[in-house]
Amino acid sequence: MSSVFQELLIGFQATIANVRSNIQTFMISVITIAISICILGFFLIIFFNLNAFFSTWNQQAQVIVYLKDDITQSNKKDLENLFKQNSIVQSIEEVTKDRAWKEFRKSQEKKLGLKLDFDFNPLPSSYRISFKLSDNRLLHISKFANITQNEPGVESIEYGENWIARFEKFMVFCRVFLMATGALLSFGLILIVSNTIRLSIYSRQDEIELMLLIGATPRFVKIPFLLEGILQGLSGSLLSLGLMLVVYYYLKSELQASTDYIASGMEFHFIPQPFLFSLVGLSMMIGFVASYVSTCQYMQVLNKK
Amino acid sequence: MIQLFNVTKKYGSASPALDNISLKIEKGEFVYLTGPSGAGKTTILKILFGWEHFDEGQVLVQGINVGKLDSENIHTLRRSIGVIFQGYKLLTNKTVFENVAFAQEVTNRDRKTIKFKTWEALKNVGLTSKKDSFPAHLSGGEQQRVAIARAMVNAPPIILADEPTGNLDQEISLEILKLFEELNLNGVTIIFATHSQDILKLGNHRVIVLNRGKVVSS
Repeated sequence: MSSVFQELLIGFQATIANVRSNIQTFMISVITIAISICILGFFLIIFFNLNAFFSTWNQQAQVIVYLKDDITQSNKKDLENLFKQNSIVQSIEEVTKDRAWKEFRKSQEKKLGLKLDFDFNPLPSSYRISFKLSDNRLLHISKFANITQNEPGVESIEYGENWIARFEKFMVFCRVFLMATGALLSFGLILIVSNTIRLSIYSRQDEIELMLLIGATPRFVKIPFLLEGILQGLSGSLLSLGLMLVVYYYLKSELQASTDYIASGMEFHFIPQPFLFSLVGLSMMIGFVASYVSTCQYMQVLNKK
Repeated sequence: MIQLFNVTKKYGSASPALDNISLKIEKGEFVYLTGPSGAGKTTILKILFGWEHFDEGQVLVQGINVGKLDSENIHTLRRSIGVIFQGYKLLTNKTVFENVAFAQEVTNRDRKTIKFKTWEALKNVGLTSKKDSFPAHLSGGEQQRVAIARAMVNAPPIILADEPTGNLDQEISLEILKLFEELNLNGVTIIFATHSQDILKLGNHRVIVLNRGKVVSS
């Protein structure tokens, strides 16, 4: 058996003994980590779902070109040629005045229970243009809209540019917010875990002192506490993942129907696997750093004697 | 083997605990370190195994310059010294066997050797029947024998004993002294700090007398 492996084994046994003798403090620390990771995890779930929601809508984004009532057949032909020549256009669908009115009446009846029975049709005819997926898709759509806007026979253009831009800004804000929250929570957790480890160290003060007196290396003394920190991080993150999964499945079953209504085809997502592993890794790293800080501080105090 | 050159140690602004002390202890020697309370006996021992820093002078233990060691390599010195502390310093949550084994675990010995050496050390101090007892269930003399077993289990060439018979009656003290003398016969250098005149009379060994941090006679 290599000496490093043996050191780790002895360290792990000491860690278990530490945890057993300070089980209450250990559990408080684990629960605190779990709550903090849960907060971060829920933000991540919201972020990833908003992102998925945004990209679904982004993919479904289309330009509606409303036509003047007095548009000539030749203007319509010119417009259709302009659309077909554009390389990013995927499909063109003409919606006549009658079809638009029929669809509008149907939707109002379904949503609000209103029966619209006018003897005139106020809606214009239009083209619904959808676009291929490409880089800078929104920019291309924006350029396309500007060109089309000035064509003869075009009444107005609708493609939700402002909304999409605002949503993009919101997602940038979300990213910054997530990173700031993550950093703050990590810092807070380091303080909490380092305090727990400090308590653990003080409860084994006599043993540590004796270890050093009889020839233990600083590494040998530190290993059990470093493992304890890592164990706290691991237990806390696993507990939080369990909690998040329960809440996620509950919310999914409750909210999926509403989501289908807002954006059909969009599903609720849990945190993607690489991010899950990162959360567990981050939590273990926090445990390690916190216990490393505590043990180093304690050893420094001993060495100053 | 052990040499102190003009060693001075001060605690704050009070008069020095050790005042310009020079000593030489040969390999395999049995030395009593004596003097009244506060004479500097414990301070010398602590300096020898690197638990206390000193302000001036030089200390050599088995050719190791103690003043040059730092926290990362002080264990090399401590592994060559067995220490018996005032008040035994046994771990109350470990059995007799575990307490003795602990001294080997920290030096990364394999399990088989630890078991064998621990058993041997307990046999030498006559405590095999108490191997599963906890320190709280032992008498003072038995606790001291566990401490001796722990100090000798790694077969160090030097043993430092700080008032090892301080809390024991004369009969038990004599038993303990015999254990140290047996170790000394096997070539171990012993520094035995005591303020008991009775103990000094029991053994025929060199006596270093300290008073107020100075060597009075050697």
